[in-house]
Amino acid sequence: MLKRLLAATTLAYGLGLSVASAETISMWVRTGIGDSFKEVVKAYNAAGEDKVELTEVPFSELVQKYATAIAGGQAPDALSLDLIYTPAFAAAGQLEDLSEWAKSLSYFNALSPSHVKLGTYQDKIYGLPLSVETSIFAWNKELYRKAGLDPEKAPKTWEEITANAEKIRALGDDTYGFYFSGGGCGGCMIFTFTPLVWGADADILSPDSKKATLDTPEMRKAVDIYRNLVAKDTVPAGSASDNGVNFLTFTNGKIGQQSIGAFAIGTLVTQHPEIDFGVTLIPGVDGKPSSFAGGDNFVVTKGTPKLEAVKKFLEYTYSMEGQKIMAKYGSLPTRGDIAGEVLEGLDPRLKVGIEAIAVAKTPYTLQFNDLINSSNGPWATFINAAIYGDDVDGAFSNAQSEMQSIIDAGQ
Amino acid sequence: MTMSGIASQSPRHRRKKRSGWRGLLYIAPAMALVTVFFVLPVLFTVWMSLHKWPLLGTPAWIGFGNYVRMVSDVRFMAALGFTAHYTIIVTIAIFAVAFPLAIFVEKQRPLVSAYRTIIFLPVVVGLASASLLWVWLANVDSGLFAPLMQRLGLTNGRINLLAGFDTAFLTIIVMVVWKIAGFTMIILLTGLQAIPAELTEAARIDGARRWQRFRYLTLPLMRRTMALALILSVTGSILAFDQFYIMTSGGPQNRMISVVYYIFNQSFVSFNLGYGAALSIALLAILVTISIFQLWLLKVGDERP
Repeated sequence: MLKRLLAATTLAYGLGLSVASAETISMWVRTGIGDSFKEVVKAYNAAGEDKVELTEVPFSELVQKYATAIAGGQAPDALSLDLIYTPAFAAAGQLEDLSEWAKSLSYFNALSPSHVKLGTYQDKIYGLPLSVETSIFAWNKELYRKAGLDPEKAPKTWEEITANAEKIRALGDDTYGFYFSGGGCGGCMIFTFTPLVWGADADILSPDSKKATLDTPEMRKAVDIYRNLVAKDTVPAGSASDNGVNFLTFTNGKIGQQSIGAFAIGTLVTQHPEIDFGVTLIPGVDGKPSSFAGGDNFVVTKGTPKLEAVKKFLEYTYSMEGQKIMAKYGSLPTRGDIAGEVLEGLDPRLKVGIEAIAVAKTPYTLQFNDLINSSNGPWATFINAAIYGDDVDGAFSNAQSEMQSIIDAGQ
Repeated sequence: MTMSGIASQSPRHRRKKRSGWRGLLYIAPAMALVTVFFVLPVLFTVWMSLHKWPLLGTPAWIGFGNYVRMVSDVRFMAALGFTAHYTIIVTIAIFAVAFPLAIFVEKQRPLVSAYRTIIFLPVVVGLASASLLWVWLANVDSGLFAPLMQRLGLTNGRINLLAGFDTAFLTIIVMVVWKIAGFTMIILLTGLQAIPAELTEAARIDGARRWQRFRYLTLPLMRRTMALALILSVTGSILAFDQFYIMTSGGPQNRMISVVYYIFNQSFVSFNLGYGAALSIALLAILVTISIFQLWLLKVGDERP
């Protein structure tokens, strides 16, 4: 009986692949990436045929839950995975190889390069871009006006930003010129602070990510810029212990300038229409801008029987219709070739987020969590010690050696 | 003669044996619970600790590799050092507050039950919620302490309490004492109330002064209660996690990583479940040793009253 049932289901699957009957794909998405993906799924489900069943998982637990689900044979067919985790999951052999199909897509070369790079492990593609976010620099036009600055002139260097910050701080009391989450939020700072050194062609890891290259003249310069901003009292005291909870302090309207994410443009426009702000690229230490390309990769659990249906759904999100829905709810287009068209009629400031993709970087490492994101990792510790501590040299040498030892232990 | 001896012994023997089985039967549910929820998990943890056990992928046997690594792990040693530092300070602080409070609420006086309730109230708040509450209280911009101290003219400008090690540590100690002292007070109170009034009275008639009565009568008679309170406090402090995780996320520049925090990081941030398991076993061994030492120090077990 059981055997017959099994045979029947296998047959059904076989037919399903060839006859394209309606299927239900189970998919997980992490919290905190906005509504864009949910809206695409809604539109896809409304169109009939296949269905996508979406489960939201808290972002901090996604990795553990997914690992447990795989062990228990309950893993979803596909997953919207923070792109920095793609190499680690691919290395653990849990993801489906999408190389052939991906390369057959006519727009493959137009897909966000950072995402594809992170989705590639040992020359095979395991992850494709789903949502894109870049870090950008935002300034509050109203505070600029009050401080006697030109609200339409985007600052191009950190000297300019520092001078502006001082003028805004001079407005007094609760008004500050600059903000960053400096209390051990590695994720916030890799997103907003490393563009300073990337713009100057330095990096915190070697290209093969086997060497920590934290202690560079460029990083010293970047640290000095932030130290100076703090020393001149342009940053609220709460920054020193903000572990990321108040990352969007800019939205309170009392911060003159802050590096934020492109998702926040959507948040500001829809939820804080009273804030008049401008955005530009984050200048590097010597003026050349850069950005961090973040967001999510679309990955497929190895061995899922619904691979074809999953591919069909992903093709839909890459279609003009899908891309338009994503952009409307705050995610930047993942396809560079139709980005201009997709953004037509949407907030013009989103275009800055797109420009950032061209100059954006993402560190490629299997140990992102350990090195960067963990609030107790060397990067988060370094940020706090170097910017708020008394011993900058010590902060550099400690972090450099700890990063190297974590990298070595993982080889 | 020998026959009769055996005959007279055997029913008693049999009865004893039967009651032994019955005893086992009675404790079987408890044993089953302990086995399923304590012994088996511990054995499994030991098994895991002998592997390189990633969260994803397949475990690989490495024998005592994790334990060898532990010995030279600087960060683990730092976590042990910090936990010891915290345990000593917080335990002294809790007792320094809880003992006077217990003596204060022991005597019948007006409103004594109201005092007891008020002092005990923070205990019923969960540690995580209490930590969150104090994060807000200590917040430099929207909290209570920093603006209050500024208003009172105690500080020049607002001080971010959670930004420096000393002030953050002090904040956490005060929070834990506020939260836990009531519980220790209740334990000590039961010990105080168990001392017969006649004894104190007799000592007073004999001319013992207040300090002498406390030192030579109250303290010795409270040894078992103190042992209980001490072990609970020390064990709780060694296992501290929530307050550091929630209030300071490991503190300014990682200086507040307790042992449990480090185990958590190893297991669920670095995904080294095997190493985390080995660290847990080490911590278990440390806790058992400390508890045995404390029981021996306070001589609980001999000279029952």
